[in-house]
Amino acid sequence: MVKPPADTVMCVTCGAQTHRAARTGNTSEETVTITEPPAGRSWRAHSPPSADAGAYLDIERGVIDRRIWKDEGLYQQELRRVFAPSWLFLAHESQLPKPGDFFTTYMGEDPVVVVRGKDRTVRAFLNTCRHRGMRLCRADAGTTRNFTCSYHGWGYDLSGNLVNVPNAEAYPDHFDTADWGLREVARVQNHRGLVFGTWNPEAPDLIEALGDMAWYMDAFLDRDPEGTEVVDGVTKWVLEGNWKLAAEQFASDWYHVNMAHASALMVMSPTGKGPKTEIANTPGRQFTSPLGHGAGFPVHPRSRFDDAAVHEHYDYDQLRERLGSARVEGPMTTGHATVFPNFSYLPVNGTIRVWHPKGPDRMEVWTWVLVDKNMPEEVKQAQRRYNLRTFGPSGIFEQDDGENWSEIQAVSRGFVSNRTPLNYQMGLGIHDDHDPDYPGRVGELYSDNAARGFYARWRDLMNTPAWHENHTTPEGDRD
Amino acid sequence: MSTPAAAPAQAPSTGTRAMELHFEVHVLYANEARYLDGDRFGDWLDLFTEDLVYWAPTRTNRLRRQQRLSVSAPGGAAFFDETKDSLAWRVRRFESGMAWAEDPPSRTRHLITNLLVRPAEEDEAVEQGVSEETAREHAHYVAETGFLVYRNRLEHEVDLYSGGRTDLLRREADGSLRVARRTILLEQNVLLAKNISTFF
Ligand code: FES
Ligand SMILES: [Fe+2]
Repeated sequence: MVKPPADTVMCVTCGAQTHRAARTGNTSEETVTITEPPAGRSWRAHSPPSADAGAYLDIERGVIDRRIWKDEGLYQQELRRVFAPSWLFLAHESQLPKPGDFFTTYMGEDPVVVVRGKDRTVRAFLNTCRHRGMRLCRADAGTTRNFTCSYHGWGYDLSGNLVNVPNAEAYPDHFDTADWGLREVARVQNHRGLVFGTWNPEAPDLIEALGDMAWYMDAFLDRDPEGTEVVDGVTKWVLEGNWKLAAEQFASDWYHVNMAHASALMVMSPTGKGPKTEIANTPGRQFTSPLGHGAGFPVHPRSRFDDAAVHEHYDYDQLRERLGSARVEGPMTTGHATVFPNFSYLPVNGTIRVWHPKGPDRMEVWTWVLVDKNMPEEVKQAQRRYNLRTFGPSGIFEQDDGENWSEIQAVSRGFVSNRTPLNYQMGLGIHDDHDPDYPGRVGELYSDNAARGFYARWRDLMNTPAWHENHTTPEGDRD
Repeated sequence: MSTPAAAPAQAPSTGTRAMELHFEVHVLYANEARYLDGDRFGDWLDLFTEDLVYWAPTRTNRLRRQQRLSVSAPGGAAFFDETKDSLAWRVRRFESGMAWAEDPPSRTRHLITNLLVRPAEEDEAVEQGVSEETAREHAHYVAETGFLVYRNRLEHEVDLYSGGRTDLLRREADGSLRVARRTILLEQNVLLAKNISTFF
């Protein structure tokens, strides 16, 4: 059973100090502490009671209850405790080369617009008008001088300031446009071209939040001193499946490759018969971060599926000097990775992607193709074509992933199904978690370690009140 | 070149030759649909020329003043960007017996409609990358169609793919018509399906 929350739930919308509130969900009644909003401060989010996420998984034993992919209450808790406080991928800086360039995306289920300001700084704002809440910008991308709401015409500049209010004379004296600028994403930082943002003003710097993961990411992002860019356009599709199914798989699951992608491996192998056993059982390493990130990669030199034109483009001696042999033989060209919570990538075909949550049983996948800026145009194009033929909704690999996730989700409706634990025990108890060549906790490729790490981090965030629930810190949520 | 691979077809609507051409292309597409819905991907592949370019760009929401950017340019994001070889690769996968996304197979229905077809000028073919020699030696036609593809999968899964196709057709030496260029424009921004495990 779900335990009552350890933290106190607070509500500022009713003015009383404490009251008895009926809880929706599985418990009946419970004391909820209410505090007055501090003078001059605006409303805080109303946080409903939180469940103990630890009740759904036993990381030490390697069992997980599939309700975590299905439960609406847990999903709402994820939005406020996993998505709201975490660093989330927003865009690649090459999407916004000039002042006024913008791109609209989501952080959790919150729409945001990412824009390069006149001062060339990249900022992100909640993409909703402060007047009546109309979606402010309805284009996917473009260039603009300002954002004008199509409902009553409030206009905002590229820094989010409210600069135009039609019929302004009708507002009272204390109406100050300075109070009604766009809600700005608290922190926006860039790691080698990847722009991340977080609503959490107390979040550690992005580089700290990445921890050792940055070393693995750089195998992909830092192959060339000029850095990377994305091919024009984002490929988007929806599928019935909880976002964690995909994020977990990209963190941890090389295991599925030989079975789920058997048809693709067969088509791509030189003989047309599928990979040789020694390649199918390829040795490799898997990295598990205490921050929830994960990555895995074969180290067998022939267990590589990169495009010929891309492969030939690289000078591997030079790369070894730049990145070190351990990175070149593994995470540079092959493998998989997830940056907690919902950003993933595959170096082999340059895909970077976000698993946007769209309710507990739905995700929207947004993918970009990442290439080195310095690549000749024909190499970039080779990578783009290779990407869309292997991954993406029509890709010969990814078609089968979609089927797995949607069917796991479809099965997650049953009562008994939801009380039948699932197995995450691969590699459990094997204490091989260090490798002098790789930073962090690193073990065998075929392992659920990184999945257990992903869910351990998820559980911990789920069970920790986020900054916006904490009334005592001065940096608490305020507008 | 950004949007459709060719100017809109404006077929002369009457005259025996126009009607014969229309009929011939109509039958070609009806057969194509039959192959796709009947799991006959090998036969389907035979409908394309060796120098095929098969392209389905993505579409984005843009303000009207930036509408020219609403269809991904060549070299940008795409659902398909294929040669005959790469299509053959995809077909081989379906025939591998291990393509789980289509095993058990989906039930699909390709409805191909609103056909307009007209002869193409020689330089129109060249503009689309057909070699000058081929453009000179073979008659080409521009054919536009609309399509609605219904996919019903497993128990409850239903997907609808609506779009338009602009083809450059070639009269081959044996008298048959084959597709040399195909541009597919889906009427979707976010693809509202978990995958595309068929062709258009
Ligand atoms: S909702 Fe935006 S101006 Fe009224
Ligand atoms: Fe996969």
